[in-house]
Amino acid sequence: MSAGSLEIGHEIPRLEIVLSGDQVRRYATAAQMPGARFFSDEVARKEGLPGQILPGNMGMALLSRMLTEWLPEARLEKLGVTFRGIVRPGTPIVCSGFVTDRRDSDAAVELECDLILEQDGERRITGVAELRLDRS
Amino acid sequence: MSETLPLGLDPSLIGTEFDSSTSAPVAAEEIREYAESLGETHPAYFGPNPVAPPTFCVRFRGNRFFHPSISRQAFFRGFDAGKDIQFGAPIRAGDVIHASNILHEVYEKTGRTGSMVFIVSRQTMTNQRGEMVARIDNRFMLRPKEET
Repeated sequence: MSAGSLEIGHEIPRLEIVLSGDQVRRYATAAQMPGARFFSDEVARKEGLPGQILPGNMGMALLSRMLTEWLPEARLEKLGVTFRGIVRPGTPIVCSGFVTDRRDSDAAVELECDLILEQDGERRITGVAELRLDRS
Repeated sequence: MSETLPLGLDPSLIGTEFDSSTSAPVAAEEIREYAESLGETHPAYFGPNPVAPPTFCVRFRGNRFFHPSISRQAFFRGFDAGKDIQFGAPIRAGDVIHASNILHEVYEKTGRTGSMVFIVSRQTMTNQRGEMVARIDNRFMLRPKEET
């Protein structure tokens, strides 16, 4: 994708995914997040949760994956997220976003984007990202 | 100006380091496994000399998540509210990551459910060349004390 088409309001191609409990366990292990609520329905329920949940970092990392798939050559400079609710395996997750600002220089195009992760029609994670695309 | 911060914390604690740690060299296999667990397909994350996906930096959690002046009981009432990451040099296989955590900010906000306290820990990570690889501001929110 050329930087020329990335105007304010441009929609980032959505990432839609349903994660299994095993995938969540695999991420939690790879990310060294040992919390039992990321591994077991039973333990999560004892903690008052509806069942196994994703680490907040995994939701954030899915938003980062969406950006990488959209602009593989871009460099992610900043990523900020607010965790608004739990995200669970077994139910569709929809990541989306759009360009909110664009700055052009001789060396690069810098983009700011708003990001959203939804599940069951609710915004569970919101965020902002700054990306840089070097001109070459 | 208030003489103490929320939770009765001494303002002089702001900016103090409460944890530091140094990792073992990052293995290519650890990067590949992290990327695969997310379904990433970018070729830079795979192969013998991979670059890590940006969020790989969250792995370097150190030894403690919060300042020792904040009671564990307070944290049991809280949850991870979010984070802001500034990325620096990419993490590559073979890198040794040093992480330093400071208490960055403590503030109170009043919402619909009452007063809430936010604790912000700032984790700065550098590689073996002294380059900053990431700086993460972790926000932890403490719910108000239950009345029961």
